[in-house]
Amino acid sequence: MDAQALVIIAGLILVAVVIVSLIAMRGYSGRFRFDTQNGTTPRASEGEGTTPKIMFKSRFTALVAGVGAAFALILGKLWTMQMVSSDYYEELAEENRTRTITTPADRGRILDRNGEVLVGNRPSLVVTAYASVADDEITVRHLANLLGLPYAAVRRNIQDNSEGAQSAHTVATDVSRRVVAYIQEHASEFEGVEIAQRSERMYPYREMAAQLLGYTGTATQEQLGADNSDDPGAINYESGDMVGQAGIELQYERVLQGIRGQQTVRVDANGNVTGASDAVEAQPGSDIKLTIDVKIQQACESGLAHAIEVAKQQGYENAGAGSCICIDCTNGEILGLANAPSYDPSSFVGGISQDVWDQLNDEKNKYPLMNRAIAGQYMSASTIKPLTALAALNFDVMTPDSVVTCTGYWTGLGESWGQYCWDHDGHGPMDLQSAITWSCDPMFYEIGKGFYYSDDNPDGMQETYRAWGLGKTCGIDLGGEASGRVPDAAWKKEAFKDYASEDQSWNPGDMTNLAIGQGDILVTPLQMAMVYCGLANNGVQMTPHLLKSVVSRDGEGDALAYEPTERLRVEEDADYMDLVHRGLKGVIYEESDATAAHFSNVYDNGEQVTLAGKSGTGEKSGEDEYGWFIAYAPYDNPRYVVASLCEQAGFGASSAMYAVRDVFGAIYNSPDDSTVVSTDGTR
Amino acid sequence: MPSRAQHEQAAKRESLKIVNKRQARKRGSLRDAVFIPVAVATLLLVAFGCFVVWTASLSIEEASFTRQLLGVGIGLFLAVVAWNIDYRMFANWSHALLVIDILLIFSPFIPGLSYEGGGMTGWIRFPVIGLTFQPVELVKLVTVLYMASRTAEYNGTIDNLRDYVKLCVMLVIPFACILIQGDLGSGIVVFVAGAVVIMIGGPKKEWVLSTIALLVGAVVLFFAVNSITTAYFDSPLIAPYRLNRLLVFLDPEGSSSTDEGYNLLQSLIAVGSGGFFGRGIGSADASQSGAGFLPEAHTDFVFALLSEEFGFVGGLLLIALYLLLILGTIFVAVRTENIFGKLVAVGIVGMWTFQIFENIGMCIGLMPITGIPLPFISFGSSSMMVQLMVVGVVQSIWRHRTKAA
Repeated sequence: MDAQALVIIAGLILVAVVIVSLIAMRGYSGRFRFDTQNGTTPRASEGEGTTPKIMFKSRFTALVAGVGAAFALILGKLWTMQMVSSDYYEELAEENRTRTITTPADRGRILDRNGEVLVGNRPSLVVTAYASVADDEITVRHLANLLGLPYAAVRRNIQDNSEGAQSAHTVATDVSRRVVAYIQEHASEFEGVEIAQRSERMYPYREMAAQLLGYTGTATQEQLGADNSDDPGAINYESGDMVGQAGIELQYERVLQGIRGQQTVRVDANGNVTGASDAVEAQPGSDIKLTIDVKIQQACESGLAHAIEVAKQQGYENAGAGSCICIDCTNGEILGLANAPSYDPSSFVGGISQDVWDQLNDEKNKYPLMNRAIAGQYMSASTIKPLTALAALNFDVMTPDSVVTCTGYWTGLGESWGQYCWDHDGHGPMDLQSAITWSCDPMFYEIGKGFYYSDDNPDGMQETYRAWGLGKTCGIDLGGEASGRVPDAAWKKEAFKDYASEDQSWNPGDMTNLAIGQGDILVTPLQMAMVYCGLANNGVQMTPHLLKSVVSRDGEGDALAYEPTERLRVEEDADYMDLVHRGLKGVIYEESDATAAHFSNVYDNGEQVTLAGKSGTGEKSGEDEYGWFIAYAPYDNPRYVVASLCEQAGFGASSAMYAVRDVFGAIYNSPDDSTVVSTDGTR
Repeated sequence: MPSRAQHEQAAKRESLKIVNKRQARKRGSLRDAVFIPVAVATLLLVAFGCFVVWTASLSIEEASFTRQLLGVGIGLFLAVVAWNIDYRMFANWSHALLVIDILLIFSPFIPGLSYEGGGMTGWIRFPVIGLTFQPVELVKLVTVLYMASRTAEYNGTIDNLRDYVKLCVMLVIPFACILIQGDLGSGIVVFVAGAVVIMIGGPKKEWVLSTIALLVGAVVLFFAVNSITTAYFDSPLIAPYRLNRLLVFLDPEGSSSTDEGYNLLQSLIAVGSGGFFGRGIGSADASQSGAGFLPEAHTDFVFALLSEEFGFVGGLLLIALYLLLILGTIFVAVRTENIFGKLVAVGIVGMWTFQIFENIGMCIGLMPITGIPLPFISFGSSSMMVQLMVVGVVQSIWRHRTKAA
């Protein structure tokens, strides 16, 4: 039996007692009562209530009844409140005197494969203000003067509801101790303004790998409102939470994000904490190790800058954007991934200003936020020629001994449809291997023509490209990957459906263009790097990935290590692969003196490293050439694949080549000491 | 050497002294001069009140325990003075009492006396000694004396409707003055006390009932007209916020966003969470009052503080003491042969009953929120002094209960 029932029964008994006693008392107040104090004076004998005593008697009875009624009412209400519903009020009192404070958890750090901090945390003092402060012009002006910010900016920050309408809005971050002290000493002048300590992201390498690492920002309305009921691992964000918004920060948000601590505190009516109880410590997010190696990453960045600088010296004024990737082809680990131009992620700390945001999204600045390595789509140019050769071999369009004689001008589709080789002087007779080495176009025109007129395998070339992973995303653990495009007849019909029917048809010229990687084909630098991983690995591509391990919370060892997985496997004849390998080796050491000069000086601990690779030059009408260079090493037992693309930087062998060489220089600790200037026009 | 005559004179003086003493002992034996139940109830209430104020002083800075004790001291002195005065002298002072009453009501507006501080109005500050006082407290007693002296003229039966109306008008004068001064709560206390005096004074039942009906009708009419002017002319007779303040007790949780609603809700929580035995003393246990959630915890909402600390038991004890005090006073009224004395006593009963009902009722959501103190308990020396003086008057009525002077 619970207390409630007891109370009700007790109340009923009380009511019964009152009723019984009232009935019992009726017996005493008989009409003809003998008054023991004043003698027996029957009421009637006095006649019609003329004496004061009788007159007043009924009035006093009424008075007592009135008093009794008032007090009975109070007692009745008190009974219901304190005996029947006291639990309810007890709860309300508990709500009043306790507050649950959430303590933010530090975000996990992002480390390179050797534990070098790429993204860390640092404490920062923040000035926040409630939205109502914006209406108080004097306070806002005072604050603006103190912080050295324009009045309008301070006011806009205060009114910005992105952190939630009810919570205090961030006005300024990284405020000096002097300002904090001033505000705290003059608290009465700054009503609604508060100082908070936050943990902010810190980027020791500034612009390095910015697109890869991403940035954080306060939780968006979308993230706050997400319905996570059917996803146990999902995080329920509170307004003001710092959440990964791009790159690795977004990809591994669930690992990096800590668990908020909670503390129940006793407060008084003014919200002052008077005591603490039940604390749940905040759990910092886990540190993660990336496959990135800072040394190689830096080489990718500086190599790219080098390549762009060279291109600019050669007169390519539009150069400035590009990408450089270094992958361990044995396990898919990405050792370096650089993009140009880059940006400083610390401009996102404490909320990015609109001006900076606009600049980062301006075409004039070549979109620094764009991760070109995985999202940039370009013509593959000649770097695709090894795949074209393999397709020709596999579908019997060519044999290893087939020879095409290059005169510099190829008229395989008829005199009126003649096409130049990049070397207008002609290469002379070429077999497949030398065609790869010299990047001789007529051989590949022939292949394209052969496939076009093939009855059995008109799409054999595209099939081969797709089998090697083009036209689909690579599966890297990073968002925003583009899938590229392998064009064919069906694609062209669909793409040009609004045009005349002759424009929709798949022509022999389309095929010959595709065979040399020009025209409508689109690839990402990462896709091409994966293709060369496969070439180096005899057909096996490992899934590219960035996460190496999650560091366990106690700091020692890994809580979770990434297991390499195979992305795809292409079965190729070993002889055909050897042919391609030899052809690619020739590119480095035979095709041009300059390239050979720059790569003949790669030494690993005194031993020369043999490389293989391919240059490429994409031709886009109205723009300067897009330079490609992809290489792998060591030749006999390949491990490192380095791919670089430089937008509008001229020929691949005279631009992107420098980036690739610099990365190998960093890998083997063997910087490029050759001063030969490459004027190679190989496409 | 003293003469014989001198000796005789001395002896006579001596014997007179003895006779006087004996006489005094006979006439003024304590049980005869003091009505014990009322005295005991008063002292227990004051002790209880002091204890409650002391607990409040632990967490509320303004609740100065020593100031409260000073008020009790002065109050006890005033009570003894009042007890020693033959209250019957006031019976013929009716005009003077009215003048004093109105002077008191408007004294806060007299330059040199008026005192305003911390949002308080209706206070005076005696020059030189610097003591602050709320004259409206004393107005309650003076009005009761005034109405009793007026009503007593009819010797217990008011046969003439004109006389009844005259009395009603006389009550309306101080009531209206207090309203003008801006203290609705105290005005209603004075009105109820005076109304009780008139009702006991012997008017015909029909008149009283029709007066009540008239009052109810007038209030209903007022709100009807108010709603019409608000809806059609956009000019309410009473400012909406004032109206809401009065009506907030009907829906405390729905109006907790307003100041009054918040105060009321905190009061309800304090009372309700007290439970049967209360939560004890100190901010850790009685958090509503101890941690500052309950506003005015030592003055207007002192009952909520008491209920939180001492629970239903404490509230029951308080109400029992009040009942003893009030029923004792009614007993005094019954026993007094003097009509004026009876009427003063019932006026005091009316004042106490309404003040207690209104104050406690406000704390537990039965009555609208008005700022009147709980007699003998609330912090504040004005109320304490006057209430003790009122008890002195009751004792004076008891002491002079026989008709013969």
